[in-house]
Amino acid sequence: MSAPDFEALDVGDEMPPVEVEIGRELVSGHARFLGMPFPRFTDEEGARAEGLPGQIAPGNMSLAILARELLAWARGARLARLGTTFRGVVLAGSTALVQATVTGKDDVARTLECDLWMESGEGDRLVIGTATLAWP
Amino acid sequence: MSFADIPRSVLGQEYDRHVYPPVSAEELVAYARSLGIDDPLWTDAEAATAGPWGGLVAFPTYVVKLRGGKHMPDVVAREMTAGGFDAGKDIDFHAPIRPGDSITASSSIVDLYEKTGRSGSMWFVVYRQELRNQRGELVANVDSRMMQRGRSSGGGSTS
Repeated sequence: MSAPDFEALDVGDEMPPVEVEIGRELVSGHARFLGMPFPRFTDEEGARAEGLPGQIAPGNMSLAILARELLAWARGARLARLGTTFRGVVLAGSTALVQATVTGKDDVARTLECDLWMESGEGDRLVIGTATLAWP
Repeated sequence: MSFADIPRSVLGQEYDRHVYPPVSAEELVAYARSLGIDDPLWTDAEAATAGPWGGLVAFPTYVVKLRGGKHMPDVVAREMTAGGFDAGKDIDFHAPIRPGDSITASSSIVDLYEKTGRSGSMWFVVYRQELRNQRGELVANVDSRMMQRGRSSGGGSTS
């Protein structure tokens, strides 16, 4: 993925959609790293016992994956703000699609506003958010 | 007592202050790797010297790990025991976290409100961790929204 610079980006531009694997081991390892080793994040059976359809990713991981993909695209930018709403469970072992669109540009502050989201294979938006990227 | 009876005097009051020991470079790299990040900017201290921060810094969302020592004040936690879940986060990022930084997390409740939808009432608690480094520089404000289904009508919004 090539890294667009600030001058090349404008309102309406889209980050190329990124397919991300929500690996079971990555989820359980990340949850443990965060100090959240709860069954819903680490164990399929434990998650079902909590009434969930299966092991899920912590919201803190989903937002970090959005940031990961956004910063991999807008390399050279700083993440100044990130707001997220968790609308649905992100299942471990699934594949999700991360997308972002530029919704605003401030040439003086050298910032971009973006909408971004993670959707399931069925097209459901599981995590939605907005972000501000700042360039030096 | 119900959610609606939580006194608004809790808003803005610091209920926890937690000082973390200095963070290591290994910890910052481990966080990035636990997200599947292999970009040297976030995982290689030497390579990061050529990056925009002149050295290794934490991947920005590392701040969500710094949740302080107490989840909520007792008067709020008593009403948020029925399987609440994380509804979202709003984070303002400021100074980067570098190896050796000692972060202090100051926690406060910033909003309490109730919403009513088709499935009944939902209670929301918004709490903030204000993170500062050992130089007093603001590192981030992390606002977390916890949601719980209402157990009773609760008498209306507290917001």
